Amino acid sequence: MTNTSDTKANEAEGRRSFLPAFINLRDAGTLFGLALILIVFAVLNPVFMTAPNVLNILQQSSINACIALGMTFVIISGGIDLSVGPAAAISAVAGAALMTAGVPLPVALLGAMGTGMLCGLFNGCLIAFAGLQPFIVTLGGLSLYRALALIFTGGNPIFGIPTEFRAFINGDLLGVPVPVVIVGLIALLLWIVLNRTPFGEYILAVGGNQEAARIAGVPVARTRITVYVMSGGLAAVAALILMGRLGAADPTMGNLWELDAIAAAAIGGASLMGGKGSVVGTLLGAVILGSLRNGLTLMNVQAFYQLLATGIIIIVAMLIDRATRGRA
Amino acid sequence: MATDINRLAVDGISKGFPGVKALEDVSFQVRPGEVHGLLGENGAGKSTMLNVLAAVLKPDAGGIRIDGETVRPGSPKDARAAGIAMIHQELQHVPGLSVAQNIFLGRPLKMAGGLLVNRRAQETRARSILADLDPSIDPGRPIHELKVAQQQIVEIARALLDDAKIIAMDEPTSSLTPSEFDNLAALIRKLSAQGVSIIYVSHKMDEVFQVCQRATILRDGRFVATVDLTETSEDEVIASMVGREIQAEQHVSHAEAETVLRVEGLGDGRMIRDASFELHKGEVLGLAGLVGSGRTELMRLIAGIDRATEGSIEIRGSEHSFRSPREAISAGIGLVPEERKKDGIVRDRSVASNIALPCMNRFSSAGLIRRAHLRREATELMQQMNLRPPNVDRAIGQFSGGNQQKAIIGRWLAADVDILLFDEPTRGIDIGAKSEIYDLIERLAAQGKSIIVVSSELPEILRLSDRVMVMREGEIAGVLSGCDVDEGRIAALAIPKSKSRSSQRTAEPA
Repeated sequence: MTNTSDTKANEAEGRRSFLPAFINLRDAGTLFGLALILIVFAVLNPVFMTAPNVLNILQQSSINACIALGMTFVIISGGIDLSVGPAAAISAVAGAALMTAGVPLPVALLGAMGTGMLCGLFNGCLIAFAGLQPFIVTLGGLSLYRALALIFTGGNPIFGIPTEFRAFINGDLLGVPVPVVIVGLIALLLWIVLNRTPFGEYILAVGGNQEAARIAGVPVARTRITVYVMSGGLAAVAALILMGRLGAADPTMGNLWELDAIAAAAIGGASLMGGKGSVVGTLLGAVILGSLRNGLTLMNVQAFYQLLATGIIIIVAMLIDRATRGRA
Repeated sequence: MATDINRLAVDGISKGFPGVKALEDVSFQVRPGEVHGLLGENGAGKSTMLNVLAAVLKPDAGGIRIDGETVRPGSPKDARAAGIAMIHQELQHVPGLSVAQNIFLGRPLKMAGGLLVNRRAQETRARSILADLDPSIDPGRPIHELKVAQQQIVEIARALLDDAKIIAMDEPTSSLTPSEFDNLAALIRKLSAQGVSIIYVSHKMDEVFQVCQRATILRDGRFVATVDLTETSEDEVIASMVGREIQAEQHVSHAEAETVLRVEGLGDGRMIRDASFELHKGEVLGLAGLVGSGRTELMRLIAGIDRATEGSIEIRGSEHSFRSPREAISAGIGLVPEERKKDGIVRDRSVASNIALPCMNRFSSAGLIRRAHLRREATELMQQMNLRPPNVDRAIGQFSGGNQQKAIIGRWLAADVDILLFDEPTRGIDIGAKSEIYDLIERLAAQGKSIIVVSSELPEILRLSDRVMVMREGEIAGVLSGCDVDEGRIAALAIPKSKSRSSQRTAEPA
């Protein structure tokens, strides 16, 4: 029995060595799923695989990807962050209020980021110090931050976002939309954090076995709080991107973002039990969801059926995940 | 003749688990209305015996007879129907439900053609059973509001409802106060007068001698003797419990005079009281005691896992008060926990990652982990420790228990701690890896590490330790060194005795 598991593990290691270093076996599976979806749509619709549409998909996916990356870190640590949508909204509102008040743009951007991170800090402290469950704390945050955004704005969007900011977000770098570049750079940074820094190891250890990690000297509370701060900060980045595109900060922004983000992370291989997850996988997961929506829209499929397809994709992805993991 | 007078006859029961013979050809008899002790050290096979009686486990050979008739219960439910009831050490009830609901759990009194539960009838019936046992228990009260002693009585009521002929009690007094024990003893006498036979498992000799008429002693899964307690002394019983051949491994001491760790009056306000001892450089201090005597709890206090409420920990002359394991580690203390899966390993991470956790900074520069450096050092370390297979990139969960243990020990070597605490270091580890772990512990002592080994296996303690500290009921009962270290003396300190217990109580204020 040990022999067979040995050979399987060796096979897995062998196969891994054929792939680039930053993609593991699980990510290769996600990539395969994405390729399948792309091929199906490419056959069904000639417009789908054109360069403008591909950039369009990436741009549409970038906001969810940004949120989902933060969610991935939280999920790996063994938690969940349901408050990302409202945290995004309150960050957008704060940023817009600062911009319209004539505060220099960089300061306003930092203000927005700080607001999101503060939301995360609040979540994280309640979870790490008060010992409350992440699901409940961030469910509370979901209402709390939304309410604050609505109260602050009286429920009305804030217009008058500076044109230079809007131009920046809607611009491109060597043909690639700026939001895609931003999220790409963030993903690169986060990949390094997760795979190359002690903090990354701490997150994986805390999510894998919190008590063992504590006994091994991992700063558990600090690690757990930091992932929520990251999640809040990334929610703010997503909010700024959307704000730049819309030209307004809407306090109702980000409704149900948490669910898309969880879906992308889970499709990408993050385990809601904690201890597992991948930056590359989550990016691919976000692009899978984005491609699906884009492709179905191109084919004039009703929104109701798009929802149906999304649900099916998530469940199928999880079934495949379960079946393949059972072997390891 | 014997079959006529015996309520329960256990005939040649054997039960093996992979790698261990838990019970080998054990026979004993219990008379009607007798309170019969079942005694032995940890791992002697008492729990296995109870589980066989309650049909939780199926014996490999042998059988049981009740009132002379062979019974073969296939499930715990069958065993109850045959008249054998178990009162577990961990009481088994459903917290939210009432006393009566718990008593009738799984066999409710019904009404309306079996569709509805007749709560009133249940409560009336429960009240009439409890009236005999403890009239102060209200059958309508939620069970979790009762004291542990009362919850235990509810379990006994449940057993009586089944018309139990034999009630087996596993460590029934582990969470009772002395006066609660007196009530239980009175109740046991009452039951025995009614003809119910009781099998009483306990480590506490004074209780056994107070309550039981006879006792069967098990050692290493074998029957030693059934003794009449009115004709036997506590010491004789203890001697036959532990009288095992002492393994003749030559022990070499590396202890030096320098005191590395000094613990003074340490306590946690719950279990551990006034623990004081010293640990020297290169010394292996064995920590013996019964399960539940507070050994693990003491280790956790020293390793900063739980917070001490009183006392001090001094390492090489400087005093510490740890708020987290991280602080204890930076002061040079590492714990190899008993429950490796729960407290030791991060299953899905590689051996290298598991090793590096306490000392990530050592393996990083400019904030980034130097993976190649880490892999090289981990590989070197694990080669010395003979990790099999020797692949530090593999998830630690895919290794055997012994190899996981090597990695956890390697973690503290990489972190270069001076003081290593081993809690049951060879539990769940096969024989081969066991002696490797022993050799390793000796090698570490030779290198000047100071080591504490908690173990329930006396041969292990004797093989490894320079001195042996014995814990009893949350206190340090004594420290043995030199030629004073032997199984009898350790057992005498570990097992709560009526005499020593009362003498200690009076000694305390002095």
